[in-house]
Amino acid sequence: MVTKTEETELNRLEIQVDNGGGGAWEYLCLVRKLKVRRSDKVLKHGLSILNDPKKRSNLGPEEWTLYEQVAVAAMDCQCLDVAKDCIKVLQKRFPESKRVGRLEGLLLESKGSWAEAEKAYSSLLEENSFDQVVLKRRVAMAKAQGNMSGAIELLNKYLETFMADHDAWRELAEIYVSLQMYKQAAYCYEELILSQPTVPLYHLAYAEVLYTLGGLENLQTAKKYYASTIDLTGGKNTRALFGICLCTSAIGQLTKGRNKEEKESPELHSLAATALEKIYKQRAPTKLPLLNSALKGLKI
Amino acid sequence: MAEDLVLDTAIRDWVLIPLSVVMVLIGVLRYFVSKLMRSSQVPDSKIVREGQVIVRARNLRAAANYIPAKSFRARKVYFNNEENGLLHVPKGQAQNAQAQMFSDPNMAMDMMKKNLSMIIPQTLTFAWVNFFFSGFVAAKIPFPLTQRFRSMLQNGIDLSTVDVSYVSSRSCHR
Repeated sequence: MVTKTEETELNRLEIQVDNGGGGAWEYLCLVRKLKVRRSDKVLKHGLSILNDPKKRSNLGPEEWTLYEQVAVAAMDCQCLDVAKDCIKVLQKRFPESKRVGRLEGLLLESKGSWAEAEKAYSSLLEENSFDQVVLKRRVAMAKAQGNMSGAIELLNKYLETFMADHDAWRELAEIYVSLQMYKQAAYCYEELILSQPTVPLYHLAYAEVLYTLGGLENLQTAKKYYASTIDLTGGKNTRALFGICLCTSAIGQLTKGRNKEEKESPELHSLAATALEKIYKQRAPTKLPLLNSALKGLKI
Repeated sequence: MAEDLVLDTAIRDWVLIPLSVVMVLIGVLRYFVSKLMRSSQVPDSKIVREGQVIVRARNLRAAANYIPAKSFRARKVYFNNEENGLLHVPKGQAQNAQAQMFSDPNMAMDMMKKNLSMIIPQTLTFAWVNFFFSGFVAAKIPFPLTQRFRSMLQNGIDLSTVDVSYVSSRSCHR
């Protein structure tokens, strides 16, 4: 996850470079380090450095990394000629390189020739069957072709070996949610919470999956996770606050007939409602009446 | 007896400085040689998997309070199940690390290569230093030491009356 300071630094550099000030190389290095996806800017500024022979020679050996970065950005922006040129230069310099082989596979993918890309990737895998990037590219290809079950199968196999890769778990969870396989998605989110318990995003997503699954036990657990999200974000997450209100009213509806021994205290619900009103008053005062009527409808 | 031996400045110029320079250079050389000789390892499936399983199990233990009890129990069984649990090693099959190291041919080769690249420069330097620099006092350590260090610090000098603070040139190298 990108920290706040890194984010401000990135934005500052971006503004500086966009307005013609120097610092394009620092910007590109920061983008590469943080792995953010700013392909159009990377393409523009990267090309401006590469096309200027003096600036290019200033880079020294870092030039090749820049070529790689610009090639990937060009493919993201569908400027396939630029990408092809960059890859050709890299091929000339590093003829038998696996990294360049990966870029070629990526180029085939972006052109849409799935079969050839698959062949390229399989040949790369023969040399090194545990190349994480190539395995993940295969999953991405299956997903891009719409073959979700194939993507799930490949991703599961990948995770059998590399089970500590939390990005892969996150991808799997999102695929499951898109296919409405909520129980499996819940398992993936649990995995994510285990590996990074202080990231509120995962708690929130897990709570939402549980809420969608429904059932009294899941709703109660979902309420707990919405609460932990609020805890982790210091009360600023409106979605979690809404989640608490919805969960409380849903639980109330389910337990309507039963005896009220286990009735949960309504404090949480009223606290969440008050917090929501305060946030709306601050940020969107025009929508406050909407909020009030919605909350009134939810009252147990 | 704590007599003060006066050390010739020529010793300092012609012994200490070249010796230290040579030591540093040899260290650098050793680093590059080992880098060249290191074969690129294709990661072994079992080792990679085991490493990842351990990370996952560690996460489970550390953050166990953050997931519902049912899922924690399910995962615990997944790892410890008698038949096919990932971390379950049946009694008597657990090899200790040493035996494994020798039975794996790749790792044994790597170890031997590393050892060789350490031994050969060491022997060469030792012979060279011995030839050029044996037999005299090279430096004085500023703080007093006990007699125990005599064999360590006064390698080439066979007099027992010299104060232990004086270091011989051979010991500088060691």
